[in-house]
Amino acid sequence: MGGVEAIRALGRQREASVLVMLAAVAIYLSFASDYFLEPRNLLNVGRQASVVAIVALGQALVIIARGIDLSVGSVIGLSAVVAAVLMRDTGSETVGLVAGLLTGLACGLVNGVLYTRFRINPFIATLGTLSVARGMALLMTGGIPVTFGGFAEFVGAGRIAGIPVSLLVMIVLAVAVHIFASQTVRGREIYAIGDNPKAASLAGVNLKRTRLFVFAFSGFLAGLGGLILAGNLASADPNLGMGYELDVIAAVILGGTALSGGRGSIVGVIIGALLMALLNNAFVLLGISAYWQVVTKGLVIIFAVGLDGLQRGAEED
Amino acid sequence: MPSDVISPVGHSTVGSLLRAPFISARGIAKSFGGNHVLRSVDIDLYPGEVVGLLGENGAGKSTLMQILSGGLQADAGSIEMHGKPICFLSVAEGIAAGVSFVHQELSVIGALSVAENLHLGRMPKTKLGFVDGSAMRTAAGRILARVGASNIDPLREAGTLRAGEQQLVEIARAAARDPSLLILDEPTSSLTPHEVEGFTAYVREARNRGAAIVFITHRLEEALALCDRIVVLRNGSIVSEGPARETSREQIVTDMTGKPAIYEHRPRHIPATEIALKLENVSDGRHLHEVDLEVRKGEIFGLFGLVGAGRTELLDLIHGVRKLKSGEIKLFGEKHVVRDPSVSVRSGVVIVPEGRKTAGILPLHSVRDNASISSLRRFSRSPFKNSSREKQRMEEFRASLGIRMASDDQRISTLSGGNQQKVIFARALMANPRLLLLDEPTHGVDVGAKVDLYSIIAREAEHGLTVVMASSEVPEILALCDRVAVLSKGRLAGVLSRNEMTEDHILTMAFREH
Repeated sequence: MGGVEAIRALGRQREASVLVMLAAVAIYLSFASDYFLEPRNLLNVGRQASVVAIVALGQALVIIARGIDLSVGSVIGLSAVVAAVLMRDTGSETVGLVAGLLTGLACGLVNGVLYTRFRINPFIATLGTLSVARGMALLMTGGIPVTFGGFAEFVGAGRIAGIPVSLLVMIVLAVAVHIFASQTVRGREIYAIGDNPKAASLAGVNLKRTRLFVFAFSGFLAGLGGLILAGNLASADPNLGMGYELDVIAAVILGGTALSGGRGSIVGVIIGALLMALLNNAFVLLGISAYWQVVTKGLVIIFAVGLDGLQRGAEED
Repeated sequence: MPSDVISPVGHSTVGSLLRAPFISARGIAKSFGGNHVLRSVDIDLYPGEVVGLLGENGAGKSTLMQILSGGLQADAGSIEMHGKPICFLSVAEGIAAGVSFVHQELSVIGALSVAENLHLGRMPKTKLGFVDGSAMRTAAGRILARVGASNIDPLREAGTLRAGEQQLVEIARAAARDPSLLILDEPTSSLTPHEVEGFTAYVREARNRGAAIVFITHRLEEALALCDRIVVLRNGSIVSEGPARETSREQIVTDMTGKPAIYEHRPRHIPATEIALKLENVSDGRHLHEVDLEVRKGEIFGLFGLVGAGRTELLDLIHGVRKLKSGEIKLFGEKHVVRDPSVSVRSGVVIVPEGRKTAGILPLHSVRDNASISSLRRFSRSPFKNSSREKQRMEEFRASLGIRMASDDQRISTLSGGNQQKVIFARALMANPRLLLLDEPTHGVDVGAKVDLYSIIAREAEHGLTVVMASSEVPEILALCDRVAVLSKGRLAGVLSRNEMTEDHILTMAFREH
């Protein structure tokens, strides 16, 4: 009896169902492709997952707080371009990298201020910055990619003891954000305002400050993601990160975070990001058209959210 | 249901002499998730009779009426109409059979005109198939006049009407159907005395036409004046039933609560003369104008007013939800400047808000997380939360407030309403407040929890906590408060001390600006 109960409880955990999906895809691939289980391939999947996962950590906090950040893809591009251009023009790597990170942070703050001060719905506010940031990246470069190298290239493409540096960065950040979300006061307040903003505010949680924080953090991580992605390619393309918001939001939702806020875990987000990367890998290994990949991504999101709705509907009855 | 059952009572002859019940219900039972709301209720409703259905919040009044009108289906029991068994599966079937239910919550459609609201679903059409506006307007005027609301323009957008006027439109909507059974759930709560007169006249007219009428209200005087028979429900059972002229207000209160002492004031001694809260000429520029108040330390200070009088707005102002336009708030002699409730909570002002679901609970969170959310930053000086302190404080409050739960890890939404409200009290008290603001603190909780909450409030005040309590229930104010401020349309109508407080006095003041 206890065992059955435990399995049921596990089934209710969204992380568990995504983990099952992840395992199913992995098992299938290990039979379908000889190359899949090669360490080189697995580490590549990890590397591909890392940028999506890092940006998804910030996005997860935003969504848990009942917001959404659509601008992350463009912020990735703008941060990379700012870093590369400043690095080229000043000759200083530090100036470039710091400016790249600050660009991400600034974009996040702008989103947060638009939401908290000007009361613009975050969906619309970040849709606006999505376009503005992309346009600025194109203006700064005239649409032509800028070479990018040095330390960022090490983070984006390098390895320590055979393991991609970006994967290590992701693991460290995931652990830190997990502890932040579950063990700190601010972390618990983020869940509270997502669950019932009015109640949390009346109970003394500073709504504006908490919202500003999650958007700023999301922007900062998008900036970091931009540096890693450009470093990996050794080039900052103004179109870098286009469409990334889809992968990032998909990873968050797949990982069991409720779009309606208040519910979600960092562990789930990482599993979600891994699943997205694994699906990408599957299409490459199986030699299926990349166009099908686009279709499938959309279907996976609809499936995951639909599953969640059905499960929750059953709970509410 | 076959339509031959639907034979509305003849309008002309029956009067109040027909002694066969219109509706007769036997053994009606209903439970929601293991919570028994109705336990085997028998009730007969006769044509030409006004029945006052009284009881505490949660006694089962609305549920019983929902079942009779088709909004809910009973778990057990049978209903007969004119001696034939019936079973409504929807409100529409009930309406077709002559049962109309005017709900307490207003449901007029704000963007439509009054006339359109009155004809929803059955608008008259011209030959070309367009809506016949003039026919609709004339009919609307006629119906409104019947319920004593001839001053309402049928062409006005319903959303621009006062709450009381909207209520009259709802009553008119039901009246237009000439129902055989008319159920009115707290119809008078937002009406002015003048409107009440018109409404009463309509109820008498409908009774004389032979309609059976059920009148749910919290205003006992009104029930005694208007009703032929009084039925009292408590915890899902009928506890007393009889002609209105043979009972009394005191008897009804005792029947409703099961405890003669529930609304009895226990005299208290307030030793401190220190002023805890002082409002000087406070306005918010919209809902409140020039309010002056002084609340002493350890006092339970009541705020009474009709809907829209500004009770909630005044609490919001003190709590920092709403901005002060002019005037000053002083807390223990110091100027209390709040831009945000978070500042207010940190300075020791906490609130138990109105609307447990919308503004109280964090539904996805555990009981412990719900209780500790206001105190997280006090429990821990570092950025990390202090779980052991949270657990310990939760256990203290579980014991002292009598919160019934299996574990403090269970979701708050799995608790009963009364227990949820106790958790919200625990949240407020855990933050070590100097001033406790309560907004309708016992709305929608059962009688047992209500008694508990009253003693919690009294006990905290006894320990020196200052309490400001807004309530729309006069008996609650009378039972708990040392003084009461009555608001009327955003202005202070007056402050009554303990020996000046009577229900009549309070209500008269509340209507002053109307």
